[in-house]
Amino acid sequence: MPGPIDYSKITITPDFDTVEWWMGTKEHKYLVRQCKDCGHKWFPPFPACNKCNSMDLDWFETAGTGVLHSYIVVTQPILGAFVEAVPYVVGLIELDDCHEADGSLVRVGGVMLDDEEDVAIGLPVTVEFEQTNEANIVVPRWKISGTADNTWKFSE
Amino acid sequence: MGALTDKYCIVGVGETPHMRPSNRTTLSMACEAVKKAMADAGLEPRDVDGMTSYQAGDSTTSNHVATSLGMRLNYSVDIFGGGSSTEALIGNTIGLLEAGYCKTMVIFRSMNGRSGRRMGGQAPSGPVPPTRAAEDNQFMMPWGWTSPAQRFGMSAMRYLRDTGTTTKSLAEIAVAHRYHASLNPKAVMRHPITIDDHQNSRWVVKPLRLLDCCLETDVSACLIVTSRERAYDLRQPPVFIMGGTGRTMAPNSAWNYSRPEIHYVAGNYGRNRLFGMAGISQKDVNLISCYDAFTFTTLIQLEAYGFCGKGEAGEFVKGGRLQIDHELPSNLSGGHLSEGYTHGVSMVIENVRQLRHRADDACPGWAEGTHSYDRQAGCRQVKDARIAACLGWGTETMSSSAILRGIAA
Repeated sequence: MPGPIDYSKITITPDFDTVEWWMGTKEHKYLVRQCKDCGHKWFPPFPACNKCNSMDLDWFETAGTGVLHSYIVVTQPILGAFVEAVPYVVGLIELDDCHEADGSLVRVGGVMLDDEEDVAIGLPVTVEFEQTNEANIVVPRWKISGTADNTWKFSE
Repeated sequence: MGALTDKYCIVGVGETPHMRPSNRTTLSMACEAVKKAMADAGLEPRDVDGMTSYQAGDSTTSNHVATSLGMRLNYSVDIFGGGSSTEALIGNTIGLLEAGYCKTMVIFRSMNGRSGRRMGGQAPSGPVPPTRAAEDNQFMMPWGWTSPAQRFGMSAMRYLRDTGTTTKSLAEIAVAHRYHASLNPKAVMRHPITIDDHQNSRWVVKPLRLLDCCLETDVSACLIVTSRERAYDLRQPPVFIMGGTGRTMAPNSAWNYSRPEIHYVAGNYGRNRLFGMAGISQKDVNLISCYDAFTFTTLIQLEAYGFCGKGEAGEFVKGGRLQIDHELPSNLSGGHLSEGYTHGVSMVIENVRQLRHRADDACPGWAEGTHSYDRQAGCRQVKDARIAACLGWGTETMSSSAILRGIAA
């Protein structure tokens, strides 16, 4: 498991488009935007539906499960908050319940709770919400939750 | 061919030395680069009446540069942006000159890219104030996923998985661009490297190593564009702008990661416009600049712009194909990987010098176009360079380009 992340060194400033998303993490909900008119889902929460241009929007609470689509292993920290965390894996997660008939899908990023050795593209993952050292910030982390066929690992 | 093909030319180029640090303001460096480009073209400040630049809140403005140099401009605007801006501003410039807003236009970038604001955040060794995560960065920075290497690394990893390409192909690009830098007296990193040197360099963010990453330098670089009629009266052989694209987007441009293929990059959407406007095909191109923020950005744009098939770039770059005297020499100055970091202007400058047959190398007669073509003696002029493609990169979902030709083409 990666080392601690010091969220006192990041100022997260939700805006009018995103404040409800950040409130959702405090209730352990992984939300994506959903169009009330056509049902399309997307993330990050841009303020209009890019399929039908509706701005009449809702939130969809995902199951917080998905498949690891890609990942990186950060060995050199760039931000002060992550100096103690390296090496850490950032996963790109394809959410299970946001696939649409026309092929549209939603992928989100997050810091894995697993180490590099345990991570592979194609594995199922699930969200875990983490209370940070900043009282107001709860962040979603992701954890490998099972096995799969046809996985792929980066090898040097 | 486009209606404006060959109607406008790049007539002057200039840059400051790549420094780490410069100990200068971006205004001071920009003034020097613009002066050098004017001298190169044989222009006086009164001859320039348009100026444009790009920046990320890290630089001076056209207003200040023009004032410092005693110019009165008829048109000036500074845009937000980094890589992919150079070729986009060449496009803007053609439109402005054609519309009569101005007659001769300066395009510059000035940045303390190493000693000032660095891409993606602060180094952990330095002071680390709280970092503000806002707008789209709200959903990247809190996950420690913010620098260009970290962002593009995600697409690079999936590309390696989907195509079976290995990091040895990335090494080929690092080796080729470094070889060219070894022939460029202006380059910061001039000692040649091998595939093994690349493979043994330390990780920055897997799958990218240190030698996959560009330099960070303090520099200003400048191009001057004017009409063909004026160009013939100036000091240098004109370099004609055959066609281009400006910040062409892939769908869902602001969030690459929910696109079906995160490595199907914007150049795929621009290449037919580019080659259609220029009226040529990839086979007509003698040399390229292919934006090398990372080895991966060069690799992926080779297939995006159709120099090889989809998923084939890893094989295409093998055997030194991107090196001078081979099939498709790339980034002849050493590029951002080995010459220095300008957010793209320096790559276009090098192509201009190559197309003039005046690469500023070790040949005593380079300024008059006399070259030995002896690489051991430090000549980096591409023999018979006629047409160059400039392939700019902003992100996976944003790319600009230009095709240039020399007077002999």
